[in-house]
Amino acid sequence: MNNIKKKKVDPFTLEIVKDSLNAIGEEMFYALARTSMSPIIYEVLDYATGLTDSKGQLLTQGNGVTGFIGMLTFMVKETVEKFNKNGDLKPGDIIIINDPYGGGGSHLSDVGLVMPIFYRGELIAFSANKAHWTEVGGKDPGSWTVDSTEIFQEGLQFPCIKLYDEGKLNQPLVEIIRANVRFPDLSLGDMWAQVAALRTGEKRFIELCDKYEKDTVLTTINHLLDASEKVTRNQLTELPQGTFEAVDYIDDDGIGNGPFKVQVKVTITEDQFVCDFRGSHPQVLGPINCSYTALMSAVRTIFLAITNPSQDVNDGVFRPLEVIVDKKSIFSAERPAAVSTYWETMLYGADLIWKALAPVLSHRLSAGHLLSVCGVVLSGLHQDTKEPFLIVEPSVGGWGAGEGMDGATGQFCIGDGETYNVPVEVAETRYGVLIDEYSLHTDGAGAGKNRGGSGVIRSYRALSDNQTVTATFGRHKFLPWGFNGGKDGSRNQFEIVKANGEIDGPFGKYARYPLNKNDVVRLITATGGGYGDPLSRSSDKVLFDVRSGYITVQQALEDYGVVINPDTSEVERFTAERQEKGLA
Amino acid sequence: MRVATDIGGTFTDLVYVDHQGRVGVAKSNTTPPNFEQGVIDVIHRSEIPVQEIETFIHGTTVIINALTERKGAKTGLITTKGFRDVLEIGRGNRPDLFNVRYKKPAPFVPRHLRQEVEERLNYKGDVLTPLHKEQVKAVIQEFKKNGVEAIAVSYLHSYANPTHEQETVAIIKELWPDVFVTASHEVTKEWREYERTSTTVLNSYVKPIASSYVDRLESKLSDIDTEGSRYIMQSNGGTTTFQQSKSTPINMIESGPVAGIFGAAILGQLIGEENIIAFDIGGTTAKCSLIDGGEVKVTTDYHIEKTGLTAGYPIKVPVVDIVEIGNGGGSIAWIDDAGSLKVGPESAGAMPGPVAYGRGGTEPTTTDANLITGRLSPKNFEQFVEMENVRQAVEEKVAKNFGISVEEAALGIIRIANSNMLNALKLISVRKGYDPRDFSLVAFGGGGSMHALALAKELGVRKVIVPVASPVFAAWGMLMTDLRHDYIQTFIRRTDDVNIKELNHEWTSIESNAYAQYQDEGIEANKVIFSRFADMRYVGQEHTVKVPVPNGEINQDTLAEMTTRFHHAHEHHFTFKLDGAATEIVNLHVIAFGTVQKPELAKLELVDGTAEDAFKEVRPVLYEEHGWIDTKVYDRNLLSTEVTIEGPAIVEEASASTVIYPGQALTVDLYGNLIIETGV
Repeated sequence: MNNIKKKKVDPFTLEIVKDSLNAIGEEMFYALARTSMSPIIYEVLDYATGLTDSKGQLLTQGNGVTGFIGMLTFMVKETVEKFNKNGDLKPGDIIIINDPYGGGGSHLSDVGLVMPIFYRGELIAFSANKAHWTEVGGKDPGSWTVDSTEIFQEGLQFPCIKLYDEGKLNQPLVEIIRANVRFPDLSLGDMWAQVAALRTGEKRFIELCDKYEKDTVLTTINHLLDASEKVTRNQLTELPQGTFEAVDYIDDDGIGNGPFKVQVKVTITEDQFVCDFRGSHPQVLGPINCSYTALMSAVRTIFLAITNPSQDVNDGVFRPLEVIVDKKSIFSAERPAAVSTYWETMLYGADLIWKALAPVLSHRLSAGHLLSVCGVVLSGLHQDTKEPFLIVEPSVGGWGAGEGMDGATGQFCIGDGETYNVPVEVAETRYGVLIDEYSLHTDGAGAGKNRGGSGVIRSYRALSDNQTVTATFGRHKFLPWGFNGGKDGSRNQFEIVKANGEIDGPFGKYARYPLNKNDVVRLITATGGGYGDPLSRSSDKVLFDVRSGYITVQQALEDYGVVINPDTSEVERFTAERQEKGLA
Repeated sequence: MRVATDIGGTFTDLVYVDHQGRVGVAKSNTTPPNFEQGVIDVIHRSEIPVQEIETFIHGTTVIINALTERKGAKTGLITTKGFRDVLEIGRGNRPDLFNVRYKKPAPFVPRHLRQEVEERLNYKGDVLTPLHKEQVKAVIQEFKKNGVEAIAVSYLHSYANPTHEQETVAIIKELWPDVFVTASHEVTKEWREYERTSTTVLNSYVKPIASSYVDRLESKLSDIDTEGSRYIMQSNGGTTTFQQSKSTPINMIESGPVAGIFGAAILGQLIGEENIIAFDIGGTTAKCSLIDGGEVKVTTDYHIEKTGLTAGYPIKVPVVDIVEIGNGGGSIAWIDDAGSLKVGPESAGAMPGPVAYGRGGTEPTTTDANLITGRLSPKNFEQFVEMENVRQAVEEKVAKNFGISVEEAALGIIRIANSNMLNALKLISVRKGYDPRDFSLVAFGGGGSMHALALAKELGVRKVIVPVASPVFAAWGMLMTDLRHDYIQTFIRRTDDVNIKELNHEWTSIESNAYAQYQDEGIEANKVIFSRFADMRYVGQEHTVKVPVPNGEINQDTLAEMTTRFHHAHEHHFTFKLDGAATEIVNLHVIAFGTVQKPELAKLELVDGTAEDAFKEVRPVLYEEHGWIDTKVYDRNLLSTEVTIEGPAIVEEASASTVIYPGQALTVDLYGNLIIETGV
């Protein structure tokens, strides 16, 4: 890399420069939230910021969600590929890119910006970020929907072009954006916030070179990547070696096709971790197709969970990782496949590896969880102000049990992260709804020595006529898996309880279901899978679960072999089956 | 005489100021679990005439300890039907993004003790379903059966209308007068049901412990014949009466730490510094807070046990905004998986403590590194320091790894610790849009003055102040406090649409509540001073910005003024403003101070002295950029006012050491504070 003079740097300077790089990453992350005007950025933290070296190797990344972990580096590599062959990149350039099929793409709503960083005329690094814009145009408000069939219905495409040329803004491009999106102030506001964050990164990186000398910084970067690689390789040697497989099914594509078979073969050796998704279903007509880099994000997410979840992330960590996939598969869709709800498939990329390895890595992995983002779009007029409102939100649900732990209740799925639900009191003030309940969905699924965590029920009662709800709840037909003898969890679903008492549903995906005053949509999320033989769950815990209402007296008997007197709430005896196993 | 006592992890500190404005200090061991004994011990140790104590102010860790050690009462929760699980669901966030075995914080009330009753308000506070009183009675029976000791009541939208909560509490008090009870509107009137419920539950959870502690302390104080007013330090930077502290003990959660921050602001007023970064290094952590224009920032975004890896528990009471990191004198130096040197967050604590303490500690700490580099002197420790053990620990655990000398390793530990602390200092300043060059750094706590000069230089701060009584500065801060209550009322209205009469009524009603509360506490109305604020935002946003609001009758002009101030404040905090965009009020916030008579601090007598009068010794000290330098060491207690010392130099006092770098200069001001120009 670069004209780096091999430099001996003392270990503490190395550490301090490394820390400074991470601090720059954090500052860029914070700067973007601080200057953004969209709730999805500064509340849901649906964005990522980072630094790469001059070749696009990720050095540090700030994340609010896991979904972008495989994307920044590919955006930069695409930029290098396209512009830097002839030295086309200049100080002050900023590139904009959201092409789903290459260059770190996911769906059009996730817009990336890349800025080269020069030090005394030499290209030494890149500052990059990617953020979910509230609007990029397309056929439906909010730009994502469950029934698009080609990319052209999903919004504006930015095919890796210059937004700034040597610091000069490409004004015509800004005008095109303004003309093509529904809330241009929000989208452009986010774009300016992204630009500000990139420049913060550039400024701090240059300051770092001024302070410690460029060669020290570049030496530290190599050291950082190598040290992280070493940590990961050490971890690999502690993993079981061999080949592990899993198969699963995606419900449907939202427009009536499916289910679709997906599969993985994971091969772990002392120095490689290979995920082979070949044989998975080809790309489909509905918008659940996943791009290669979105798959990469999913794989990296679970790879981190397996190797070392809490370490600092850079490309050194991922050097031993290889991903193989057929062309034009549901995991590597090509133009012009619809991709707007790509996460329904992307998260299977993580879940398949998770499922294949959980039985042999029960100290690092838990059982299957709700898996779906369970995204909801609810719109209408507020009953008091008569102004339009729009709810766009993910839902929390149950997580799987694991060795030594019951599953967590009511958490966002693996694709989210530092994501927050909307408080009932805030929702009822802003939106034209009353929330009838927000409670745990205690269906008692996911039985096991350790029990799967409960999903939730969240019920929106429409307070005005002519509202509509669109929702995509994956894992509606195929359940969160249990392991090592633990039972499967339950499914995600939603149903409509009309004002007259009639019930419609349950559904997994539905576009624009009409709601009138006092109709209720009940959003019900999955209970996670269980771990271990339920008959071996301690009877104290079974009793506590019954008293807490997590399971019924009937389930205590049938799943756990514990007979509990419903009147006294005391354990009376154990079934023969439980006793046979010597588990009292 | 005003006396303040502050309970810390190791020591209980006392600072007093007498009628002549003279300040004195004392220290004694902290005495868990009977913390009140340590307070009495330190009063005796100080040899102050107890009958002369007119005002007694107290800071305590009893509340935070009860929470972190899970020693509180068995608590039951009553909620609106359909919402008992809100406490368990929380917000659903997962800070440890890539950990699929993330353990969600367990609720303080298990599900079977969370009971629902029929009642419902809408967001405006209108009753949709009246309170089902029979169900409340049934729940009480259920709780009695289960041995519940404290009850929390939290209903939806009670910030808009507390009637149902009040009715419920009345029923509980009638049927079960002995049980401890908290209704959510008594601790916070802000929206967001999870946060409000969590706060209410935690208040009830610590209520029995707080009551018994405050009662025991009160009776011990009476036993030794102290009279006068007694106050307890709250997390908002003000005090309250013993009586009030028992009903909302959760307000004491950061009782001690905030007093130091508040003290830094008061010190600033005294010596004409408005912009201050307050910086406190203790045994386990370093804390910092930014004071802008004399204003100590107070927020309700407080959590316990929240880290980068776990969500923790929200407590929506006003707490001074502090950033805290796991880096103190006792922080342990270690090598991570990647072979890098790390310092903290694990601490050797008070037991066994650093290797230097000779209590069996074998892990090298920041304190040990400071000894090896000559920044601390073994002679300045209470016990004998076996330097060979200290050196050996650094050799074994750090130096060997890198093939370097013990001294280089020790300096490495200090540099890494400084790097951690620098990041915390940047977090509250540069990253919030403040320029450190506009600020002075006030350094206190046992380790504050040792690291402050290096950090200030790096950060670009020009002046560092090491206050009098710096190792016990939190107690000093308490001496300077007034009573303070914060009233925050969620009141969501668009500024272009708000009914001015209603708004005025709301302010007046908050302020009459405050008068009433102070009357109960024996403070006359003419001693009560109000500061009004509004939390405002652009319509559609979630986050708010606090904007000062003029006192008195609000009219169209003052409303316009509020909006203008909001635009400015928003631009300052978030880099942009949206002229012409609709704005709204989210919360009304009134700070009510109950002002009390405070003695003026006396200036020290001018003595014609020179630095040489305080000279102790010359010893070699290892500096980052200069290597070993023979450095003059001075005794702080012997330094005369207005003396100047050029760096490199070290100024020692009991429990602290100020390390001055080459090119820096120290003077002693008329109050005895060390003022150091950092050479930036």
